[in-house]
Amino acid sequence: MNPKAASKKRKAVTRDVEEEAGVFSGDELSKGNLDGSLSDTANDLSDSENDDSDSEVELVDDFSDSEDGEEELDSDEIPSDTEEIKPAAGEPNFRIVKDANGNDRYLWDEIHPDDNSELSEVDENANTIGDIPLKFYDEYPHIGYDINGKKIMRPAKGEALDALLDSIEIPKGWTGMTDPQTGKPLEISQEELELIRKVQMNEVTSEGYDPYEPLVEWFSSQKEIMPLSAAPEPKRRFVPSKHEQKRVMKLVKAIREGRILPYKAPEDREEKDEELINYDLWADEVERADHVMHIPAPKLPPPGYEESYHPPAEYLPDNKERKEWEQTDPEDREKDYLPNDFGSLRRVPGYDNFVQEKFERCLDLYLAPRVRRSKLNIDPESLLPKLPSPEELKPFPTACATVFRGHKGRVRSVNVDPTGIWLATGGDDGTVRVWELLTGRQLWSVKLSDDEAVNTVRWRPGKDAVVLAATAGDDIFLAVPPIVNPEIEKASLDLLDAGWGFAASRPAPSASEEGKKNNAPTWIRPESALLDAGVCVVIPLRYVPKTISWHRRGDYFVTVCSGASTPASVAISIHTVSKHLTQFPFKRRLKGGGPPQTAHFHPSKPILFVANQRSIRAYDLSRQLLVKILQPGARWISSFDIHPTSSSASGGDNIIIGSYDRRLLWHDLDLSQRPYKTLRYHRKAIRAVKFHPSGRYPLFADASDDGSLQIFHGSVTGDMLSNATIVPLKVLKGHKITGELGVLDIDWHPREAWAVSAGADGTCRLWM
Amino acid sequence: MSEDLVTSAAADSAQRQVRVQLISQQEDIALPESTGPILVPTGLRRYALSTLVNNLLSSEKPIPFEFLINGTFLRTSIDEYLVDNGISAETTLEIEYHDDWVSATDVLSTTSPAASWASGATFTPGQERILSGSYDGLLRIWNMSSETIATSPAAADGGHTASIRAAKFVSPNQIASAGLDRTVRLWKYTEGEGGFTGKISPQLELYGHKAGIESLAVHAKSNRLLTGSADNNVGFWSTKKTDAPAAPENLLPSSNARNTKRRKLNTSVSTPQRGPLTLLSAHTAPVSAAIFDGKDATVGYSTSWDHSLRTWDLVTGALVDTRTTSHSLLSLEHLPELSLLAAGTAARHITLIDPRASATTVAAMTLRGHTNAVVSLARDPHSTYGLISGSHDGTCRIWDIRSTKTDKEGVVGESVYSITRKSLEEEGKSDSKRVGGEGVKVFSVCWDKTVGIVSAGEDKRIQINRGEGVLSSQA
Repeated sequence: MNPKAASKKRKAVTRDVEEEAGVFSGDELSKGNLDGSLSDTANDLSDSENDDSDSEVELVDDFSDSEDGEEELDSDEIPSDTEEIKPAAGEPNFRIVKDANGNDRYLWDEIHPDDNSELSEVDENANTIGDIPLKFYDEYPHIGYDINGKKIMRPAKGEALDALLDSIEIPKGWTGMTDPQTGKPLEISQEELELIRKVQMNEVTSEGYDPYEPLVEWFSSQKEIMPLSAAPEPKRRFVPSKHEQKRVMKLVKAIREGRILPYKAPEDREEKDEELINYDLWADEVERADHVMHIPAPKLPPPGYEESYHPPAEYLPDNKERKEWEQTDPEDREKDYLPNDFGSLRRVPGYDNFVQEKFERCLDLYLAPRVRRSKLNIDPESLLPKLPSPEELKPFPTACATVFRGHKGRVRSVNVDPTGIWLATGGDDGTVRVWELLTGRQLWSVKLSDDEAVNTVRWRPGKDAVVLAATAGDDIFLAVPPIVNPEIEKASLDLLDAGWGFAASRPAPSASEEGKKNNAPTWIRPESALLDAGVCVVIPLRYVPKTISWHRRGDYFVTVCSGASTPASVAISIHTVSKHLTQFPFKRRLKGGGPPQTAHFHPSKPILFVANQRSIRAYDLSRQLLVKILQPGARWISSFDIHPTSSSASGGDNIIIGSYDRRLLWHDLDLSQRPYKTLRYHRKAIRAVKFHPSGRYPLFADASDDGSLQIFHGSVTGDMLSNATIVPLKVLKGHKITGELGVLDIDWHPREAWAVSAGADGTCRLWM
Repeated sequence: MSEDLVTSAAADSAQRQVRVQLISQQEDIALPESTGPILVPTGLRRYALSTLVNNLLSSEKPIPFEFLINGTFLRTSIDEYLVDNGISAETTLEIEYHDDWVSATDVLSTTSPAASWASGATFTPGQERILSGSYDGLLRIWNMSSETIATSPAAADGGHTASIRAAKFVSPNQIASAGLDRTVRLWKYTEGEGGFTGKISPQLELYGHKAGIESLAVHAKSNRLLTGSADNNVGFWSTKKTDAPAAPENLLPSSNARNTKRRKLNTSVSTPQRGPLTLLSAHTAPVSAAIFDGKDATVGYSTSWDHSLRTWDLVTGALVDTRTTSHSLLSLEHLPELSLLAAGTAARHITLIDPRASATTVAAMTLRGHTNAVVSLARDPHSTYGLISGSHDGTCRIWDIRSTKTDKEGVVGESVYSITRKSLEEEGKSDSKRVGGEGVKVFSVCWDKTVGIVSAGEDKRIQINRGEGVLSSQA
């Protein structure tokens, strides 16, 4: 309580109180620190008349907040407050004396008859009904009985009206309360009120005590100019004391005589107590594991930039994001805060959600106690499918067995013949060469073009005839190398020559067709030098074909002119060997992804796969329909290959795709348009990919500009449930990188796990 | 070569000259860049050109070069070649010169099988001969002073039209050879007085295979030949003209439909043509080797790229047994005393197979050490446990099949000794590692008691090593 209020109180105390019953000045009361709430309560009390002690306590509470609520104070007991105060004064009303036996004996104070204790004071008019609610007497005219058994009559009703009239002019000492004992309005004099206040404030109740008397500073820290005493300094303050010297000499003598010994370490005493055994209960205590029910608190993620008081600008939400965040339900918000920039740490305000969060945390702890979750103790490695080790997947090519030297300039294409004895290569020097595969001996060579490179060489599949297709410049050459026995050579020549008749019997193109730019080319015989060398047929295509792919039966092959300047209608051509016929099946360019890159026939179904730079399309040739579109996600497809067992008994179609953006993609056509697996192991563009052509070895390989080949195991299972297993097996290095180019083409031996690669360094290599 | 010398100076065409550009694939014998086209008389033949190139190279030891014009060997004078091919003498001819890879060797000595089979002819000790067949289609007979005594005729004169892959002495005066021209040829070999000149003349041509012949085995006592070919067949032939059936018409060169000028076949010489006694077909891939059983000539063994080793009863032509391994087999040798078959594989090792054992135990032992395909095997004449192998990695390794250890892959042996190619040392690159044995591949190896280890390969040399005392000879 501030001093001002205190003085007010004292003022109130000093005020005269008229003893006039039932008449109190309400003004005075309200001034004496009775605030509005008190008066309200008082009004309520006066209305109901049947108050209980609680409301009174509340009233007292309002008086002084230091008072304990449990202290009950009945209004009618206020006159007898002296007795209440007595124990507080600490004076017991008895004395303890010793009796003859020496025991304590309590001598109680005598009770004075005029002491206003409850025992002595008998109020004649007091109600004797006891501690029952007065409302029991509501239906009676009386409200109880006095000590003599006479009815105490209810105050006349007119009194209430009088009281109302009186309240207009509130008498002094009016409290608005009703004495429950008498049922009359309770009147408290100003003195009594002051007494109550003092009791409540734990003040000394006696009159005239001032707890705030001014302090008289007798001894101050300040040095006085004039000392209290003018006496001179006593001698003892500056003459050494003889007595002290005597004492010192005594001590010195005692030390010299050894009567006073220096301080001994207390360990001597410990030695004496050797018998005392100290048990170290915790000597061999080992750290125990946490209790089974111990649950450590979850680890919170470390705070990020977003939670900083000064986050980078990109973390700050713009207005739209802020609005969106505010509009979403708090439960649906992705994060429960918005990054906020305060500029500096001292501008950071108090955390407004602190109470809320603590509350929720307590709720969580109470409603959702932590539960020990049985941790899944699984090695993540074990969840991965078991990949067999490369050792188990032998055989696969591991070392270079033969180097084929002879080409000048890059070797662009390489192909092993269906019997697996010969190798055909074509290179920048315009020659096509046939080699003995195992020894690297060149058996045959023909120069197809003086200035243009041989882009592709591909043997015709099938062992009934030996035909080699090669492209150099704009032309496609079909050759029968003179390395086979006369029988097969004759069969091969017959195969190629059979078409001349068809070509001759075909009606000559009409005049209108003649005018068209892109009519089909006619197959012609080569010049005599090439004819002697073994080349039988030339197909002048007018645009540079970059890839050849034979149909499995060996009657058709598809060539793709991937040059950007090639008209779309002639970019893909299908050639029929038996009829010497060239067709252009596609009139328009494939949508999306630039010019077509390469094309292959499906190994068993009449489906042609055509790849442009970004997608691969599968066309059903018999129904003339687009069957499937693959989106490998590569930026520029360089090559692809179809699994040899595709659509046969052992599973669906699988395709591998190599791309210039270093990716090797495995597509399972039954799964999705997107790749089943993406392998990025090369540092540079992938030029060629190839499956092992026999179903015997589940191998595939790719060739890259980083000068290496990579061999993979890729086994396809027959059932639709399990996916293909792909295991990288071996990186084969050996080709030198020449002019940014490494390995340009790759092929497999038809039966063995041997791979052949063509390098930009002018060599081919056999790996086995 | 002597006959080349005789006809080298053709006076009639001395006045004609042609510009030739001499080129070579091999860097070590290449002429310097500055050497432009040279004017040479068109009458020159191979020998004269060879002398010319040797002079130009100023090489100490003259190398007998072969000359290749537009992919064919020069077997005539340049003049005849120009006329034959209708090329004007004004054009610059590009002549590629090289001496060629040696693909097959055999030895004739007192201890060689051929000498022991010698029926009528006598063999004089000290006149050991080495036979070589090479990729240029020529057989050469060498004496021990590395002089060529005889060369087989060129294709035009009844010689092989393509590379020779196998050649063997049948007897001191008979040679059998086979190659990529799908024929087995039998030659009569006669030596002049003193043994400095000889003559190889065609005796018999055997047709039957449809692809190149990879190997040839001879059993002279019964006059039988065994060949393995890339057409997946094993051929069983008789060396006697009278025994052999007629040649299949469709395989004869005359039936060739393509009338090409570049191949002039059998124009001057007509050699009797015969067919096979049996063609044993069971293999599914090229047959790499076929041999007779060392004790019983009626049993043959063959290995193939199809991973199998097959045993044949040659009397009935029936397939007796098939052992399938896990790798392509490229060579075969029989060790009759141990009843083991050694097969060299493409997977860089040698598998020893016991043909008698039950089919469950395929490989009795594996010999590891080579770094490339093992393409040739020969027995040690001193020890029954010895074996030599020639490999594409450019080494020959001697193996003692007793020095083995057992590891997780079974019984594995290591080589006792390794012979590298001398040609690498001559080049001063003996230490350099050749990738895939490039340039030094060994194609054929032969071990004779008298001569030693004879090996030949891609370096165009025949190398002879003394092979005595490498293995303890006690049986």
